[in-house]
Amino acid sequence: MKHKRIRETLLWKCIGISVFLLFIQPFGVLAQKGTATISHKKILASTYELKNQKPDTQKKQGAELNKIVILKKGKQRFISVIKSIADQTGLKLSYSEQIVPVNKEINIEEVKLTARKALKNVLKGTSLSFDVYSKQLVLFLKTQSDNQSQEISVTGKVTDAGTGQTLPGVNIVIKGTTQGTATNSKGIYNISVPSLQDTLIYSYIGYQTKTVPINGRTKINIALTTKILNGQTLVVVGYGTQEKKDLTGSIATIKTRNLSSVPVPSVSDALQGKASGVQVISSGVPGNDATFRIRGTSTINNSNPLIVIDGVPTTTGYNMLNPNSIKSIQVLKGASAAAIYGSRGANGVIIITTKSGKSGHNQFNVDVYRGIQQVTNLPNMLNATQYAKLSNSMLANNGLPENPAFSKPSSLGQGTDWLGHLFHTAPIQSYSISYSGGNKKTNYYVSGNMLDQQGTVISTDYKRYSIQLNSDTKLLKDLTFGDRLTLEHDIKNHGNYSIINAMKALPTQPIYNSDGTYAGPNGRASWVGSITNPVGQANLINNSTLGYNILGSVYGKLQITKHLRFKSDFGIKANFWDGRTWSPKYNWQPIPQPKSYLSKNYNKNITWLTDNTLTYDKMFNDGQHVKVMLGTSAQSNRSDWMRGSVQGFASKKTQQLTNGTDQPTLNGDASEWSLLSFMGRVNYSYNDTYLVTTTLRRDGSSRFGSGNKWGLFPSGSVAWRISNENFFKPVKFINNLKLRAGYGVTGNQEIGNYSFASVLQTVQYNLNGQLVGAVVPSVMPNPNVHWESVEQYDIGLDADMFNNRISLTFDAYIKNTNGMLVPESVPITTGYSDINVPSINAGKMQNKGMELSVSSKNVKGKFSWNTKFNISYNRNRIVSLNDTVPMPEGNIDFNYTVGRLEAGHPVNEFYGYVTNGIFQNQQQVNAYAVQQPGADPYNRTSPGDIKFVDLNNDGVINSNDRTYIGNPNPDFTFSLNNSFSYKNFDLQIFLQGVYGNKIFNANRIWNQGMASAINQTSAVLNRWTGPGTSNTMPRAIYNDPNGNTRVSNRYVEDGSYLRVKNITLGYTLPRRLSQRFSVNMARIYMSGENLWTLTNYSGISPEVPVNGIDLNVYPVARTISLGLNIRF
Amino acid sequence: MKFKNHIYQVILLTILLAGCKSQFLNKAPLDSINTANFYQTKSDAIAAINGAYQPLQWPKLYNMRMWTTDIMAGNSVTGGAGGTDGIETKNEANFVTKPSNPGVLDLWRGPWPGILRANTVLQKVSGMNTIEPTLKNRILGEAHFLRALYYFNLVRFFGAVPMITKPQHPGDNLRPPRTKPSDIYNKVIIPDLKKAIQLLPAKSSYSGSDIGRASKGSATGLLAKVYLTIANMQKFAGKKYDNQSTNSDYQQVVKLCDQVTQLGYKLDANYADNFNPNHENDQESLFSVQYYGKTSNSFWSNENQSSWTSTFMGPRNSNMVAGAYGWDQPTQEFVNAYEKGDKRKDATVLYKGGPSFGGMNYDPSWSNTGFNVRKFLVPKSIAPTYDSSPLNFNVLRYSDVLLMKAEALNELGQTSASETPLNEVRTRAGLSGVSGLNQSNMRLKILHERRMELAFEGQRWFDLISHPDYALNFLHSIGRTNATKNNFLLPIPQKAIDANPNLTQNPGY
Repeated sequence: MKHKRIRETLLWKCIGISVFLLFIQPFGVLAQKGTATISHKKILASTYELKNQKPDTQKKQGAELNKIVILKKGKQRFISVIKSIADQTGLKLSYSEQIVPVNKEINIEEVKLTARKALKNVLKGTSLSFDVYSKQLVLFLKTQSDNQSQEISVTGKVTDAGTGQTLPGVNIVIKGTTQGTATNSKGIYNISVPSLQDTLIYSYIGYQTKTVPINGRTKINIALTTKILNGQTLVVVGYGTQEKKDLTGSIATIKTRNLSSVPVPSVSDALQGKASGVQVISSGVPGNDATFRIRGTSTINNSNPLIVIDGVPTTTGYNMLNPNSIKSIQVLKGASAAAIYGSRGANGVIIITTKSGKSGHNQFNVDVYRGIQQVTNLPNMLNATQYAKLSNSMLANNGLPENPAFSKPSSLGQGTDWLGHLFHTAPIQSYSISYSGGNKKTNYYVSGNMLDQQGTVISTDYKRYSIQLNSDTKLLKDLTFGDRLTLEHDIKNHGNYSIINAMKALPTQPIYNSDGTYAGPNGRASWVGSITNPVGQANLINNSTLGYNILGSVYGKLQITKHLRFKSDFGIKANFWDGRTWSPKYNWQPIPQPKSYLSKNYNKNITWLTDNTLTYDKMFNDGQHVKVMLGTSAQSNRSDWMRGSVQGFASKKTQQLTNGTDQPTLNGDASEWSLLSFMGRVNYSYNDTYLVTTTLRRDGSSRFGSGNKWGLFPSGSVAWRISNENFFKPVKFINNLKLRAGYGVTGNQEIGNYSFASVLQTVQYNLNGQLVGAVVPSVMPNPNVHWESVEQYDIGLDADMFNNRISLTFDAYIKNTNGMLVPESVPITTGYSDINVPSINAGKMQNKGMELSVSSKNVKGKFSWNTKFNISYNRNRIVSLNDTVPMPEGNIDFNYTVGRLEAGHPVNEFYGYVTNGIFQNQQQVNAYAVQQPGADPYNRTSPGDIKFVDLNNDGVINSNDRTYIGNPNPDFTFSLNNSFSYKNFDLQIFLQGVYGNKIFNANRIWNQGMASAINQTSAVLNRWTGPGTSNTMPRAIYNDPNGNTRVSNRYVEDGSYLRVKNITLGYTLPRRLSQRFSVNMARIYMSGENLWTLTNYSGISPEVPVNGIDLNVYPVARTISLGLNIRF
Repeated sequence: MKFKNHIYQVILLTILLAGCKSQFLNKAPLDSINTANFYQTKSDAIAAINGAYQPLQWPKLYNMRMWTTDIMAGNSVTGGAGGTDGIETKNEANFVTKPSNPGVLDLWRGPWPGILRANTVLQKVSGMNTIEPTLKNRILGEAHFLRALYYFNLVRFFGAVPMITKPQHPGDNLRPPRTKPSDIYNKVIIPDLKKAIQLLPAKSSYSGSDIGRASKGSATGLLAKVYLTIANMQKFAGKKYDNQSTNSDYQQVVKLCDQVTQLGYKLDANYADNFNPNHENDQESLFSVQYYGKTSNSFWSNENQSSWTSTFMGPRNSNMVAGAYGWDQPTQEFVNAYEKGDKRKDATVLYKGGPSFGGMNYDPSWSNTGFNVRKFLVPKSIAPTYDSSPLNFNVLRYSDVLLMKAEALNELGQTSASETPLNEVRTRAGLSGVSGLNQSNMRLKILHERRMELAFEGQRWFDLISHPDYALNFLHSIGRTNATKNNFLLPIPQKAIDANPNLTQNPGY
């Protein structure tokens, strides 16, 4: 077996290498012999650039042709010669392949002459003529009216449909012939046609070709529309790009054009609600990464998608990027799209591409905003008077003495508003500048950003400084080098806050003692509680992380032949972060800190990777387009950490480890992983109508044992553009209709680095006051652990309708996770850990869903109105776990587990008791199933306690009476964005929401528990105080003998919400005004984030972690900001 | 053209580099030892046996759950923050313990890793011929002793438990059924301790960082306790645990206790020295769990080396010691049980008007009962922070041995002979000697003496369950009216049954 594996591994390596050798050797030879040619795409690119130039070059048009050019002697391809002339004069070449005999061989004799003369010589004997427009050498058919005088002439003007500008050099051909002409510098043409019943074809690069029957007219003015909108958008697909129209898989593109026009501090904010099937749960903590779920939770293990930033894969830290530097974000949702990332694609892939410069288009941008953030919807806590009353009845009900200080509750007044002191209104500001540009050979993009965001919780804030340096250089004609480099430094003050403690702290306790020191609970715990002063803790304890992050890649791209390209990438991701916790000594209860304390940690995580891809891309004349990519990728990671702490500082002013005196500690560790991959992809299309994509990736990972290192991840997808079929032509209102279907397998290797290894742990014991080393077996090994794989079926359709005004994308999918790693149930009697258990590939999970996104241009013109809407539906179900024993999930405290994983149920579903009202009198207690029996009247179920449903009807309420009480996974997530513009005003209204999920409001276990000295929300004012007073809120009783606070549906709430995520109103200064200050564009805007939320949820914010448990969650803030965008 | 050739060479090289590094995908853990490369040298063997001690330190065992059994046994109540803080211990004390009780789960989960580690040592080290025989014998003796101690605790708390005497591997039967206590005693605990007595050196032979290891005296004293438990369970609880007569068990106890005396153990002159960090592993100590205040691991983790007792028992919100969670609050009934003049009262409990601690006078409002445990408090001068108490926890000390001897002699009918060891303990406590009691009164006197002498040291529960009638009587008299004899075995934790459905539940749960 083992031998076979090794052989197989070797075999694969050899195949991989041989394939490359095979490809590279012959093409290398070819490339040396062949002459460089111009590709279609390059012309395309150059044509776009023309649009940005002012037409002031027209006067000197043709002057370039007076330059002396050198031609090689001998037989050559026709187009190579023309190309060579154009290159030497600095002109771009423009021609239509239909009229130019590109492959015709011609014999060149003269070697040195002017470009004009050379062209004349070369074109002699053809029906072609040439002219220069806008630095563009245009080849067109000579007008043949001179020798065919019997023909009738048709004239007209060709203009750009969008701008109305005339278009010079437009080719006009009579359909079915090779006869034709081109427009002159003023866009005027004159063509002789054999008959006025003929049809003319107008073609121009970058514009849609138009076929116009003459229908007896002699003057035909034509407006051509640009092609950009439809289909020419390049989409980054992983190890390459693809035109959007050619996609067969499910990929969402997030338009980032507007990222700088609204204030978004991070990439995750920019993504929320923007793509169907992508759920983003923001973290309210400044600078923290959000949680992404692409098409549901696909495993009980790590379900975070892979993030690829400029080719460098990562799973964290994307918030280091300045959103202004991002060019595009693509989300690979379907397996057929993500499969190219093989073992790391199971949770979907988010590809982020940063901006690059454009040659000849120099720009300097300034983007600034400042705003304020506020937390909304804080719960109403009891004031001191209300709390004292509650405390008295709570203690009395348990037979305990009341706090003498609470004997006159009303004398205590309002007391302390802890939440009010923990939260504050926090400023946020961001400054970005960027400049970009380039010349023919080199382009660059440079940006700098400073973000300063204070948290709404005191003592939390985030500062980020980032620099982006991107450049591409065409070193040789066929050789391009480039780099993408992000440098970032951030300072995150995590603070030392506890929102739940601010909710628990008693209003009867002041923040400060009379001497100005922080106050703490002093006295009997049942009277004064034992919550550490949350404000004191937040203010005194400094807890911060400094991040230093580098993300960079360098590539070289070699065009070996016209159709064959080699690209090599070397990337590095280096994260360094230094943590620091400082606490001065303090003396307040319940737990004083008798010595000042400093802990520091140093962490580094370095990943390098090298990718090599070879791409063959050829469009055949018969409408076939073949693109083949073969590649290898190798990655390696190492992370190291070290932590030291010391106590007892002589002075607060010296806060370095060396200044401490007592109890120094030192720890550290390191771990490594590596990944080696071979991959291939074939795209085939016929007439843009039938499209096929297949990919295959073979990954080897260090995270698996010797027999299981390698995994194979295939995928295939097809698409059919029905709108291209003749039978579909009569359907005029649909411009484009494409059906897609795909299947793919992806893997998940996020299982920890060494779960296969059989190892011994080192621990410590101590004897006679000295530490001694100890080595122990601790985790039962599972050498057979292997890949989790996700198998996904996807069907979809893309449609553009009503002259491309409405676009629609629909997808439906089934995602089956197989071999899901589930913890093996290891009985503790083995002596091995029953918590750190080996994972075995025994689970299955399924996600099924549908996604729809619609974008519509409702009104065009001076007033414009665009709408984007998307909605996603997903159903998650655990199909099987290791065995039938369900796994508890979501520990929220020593005594409470909220969630449960069980086959047949969605992941993280809540599990607990079902409530059934409140016992109003002792008779009801006696008649009901036994909850807490006993002779002690203070310590048994009594009137005012909650009735729990006896689900198994055995007359006793015990753990067998629990059931599933709520699903935290939403049925739908959706968003709606409306953008309007009128003259210089623009307005965006963005709504986002989820529907159908449940939230377990765990804060209420304490804040409505009425069981110990903890402050309560005002909801407990309506508690049961006697027969008939309440059937929902139980009595107050210290120690909670009936278990009223147990996990039950009492705390399960509807988590659906609709949030006004953003409203932005912008005003762009009139150009004539801004140009006075040499500014091309200046826009000022006002923006509001999270302005308003419609929800039934009673907690602070319905945006809670993915497991649906709201406990101590940092709420997202409402932000109002004012911003400025300036383009020079 | 030459330039391009170079480029192709670079490309080829890159691909070869990526594809052909044969070790590229082999990454082994950097912070742990590959099992195959261990158990080879002397230091490997020592490190392996050190690991077998370590679970004793865990909160699951002696750092917390062992001493909270005194709350279950009626000496004290759960303090803490109130509400649900310590609810599992409150449930135990009210005898409404459920199989899901996390405190019970801890007592179940604590010993097994220790048993695996001892089993591993017994398997691996016995085959090693690279170490000198005396050291090898000592290490094997320690492993036998520790395995016996872990099983002894399991069998007393839970009754029948799986009997696992070899390290298990994937593919073995990991879900064995329970083995009856008599087999656990006769096939594991007794042979292990006999082996340990034979293999272990005397305590006096240890020096330096070996002080604190199990010695011949530890094993001898523990075996005495095992025989006493067996004899009492047979005499008072109707069990049949071994094949010899109950009287010969008691005789074994007397013999073993005398052997302990012969090994040179003595009572400390001052009772409080047993709980003084400066008097650890002294003449009275047969075996104690070692703690070391300078932990570099989280106080709450298994790897923590600091003692929890001072932190957990210090009066809550008092600032008397660092931490001070006020967990273990003695009842009025317990404090009243001290005879007049018993010096142990001042050393054991904090009460209003008692001697000050750390310069502070005790305020009874710090506790729901008006009392806190003083025995384990470590002054801030030694433990300045909550996580720095170095106080060892006694598993077996000489006064216990004397009281065991007294108990065995009394049960053998030699009531007057039992006065001598009993009075040795009483004299140190400043009390007058006992004389002239009949056998049953003497039994009650010894149980009472054990309660006061060993209070809060996790012994009272075991004394109660080996005298079930006495125990029920006592518990009901202090208002713990829910207690039944079924409660004298803890439930097998639900989690254990979930993981191994072959485990049956104890009656009454």
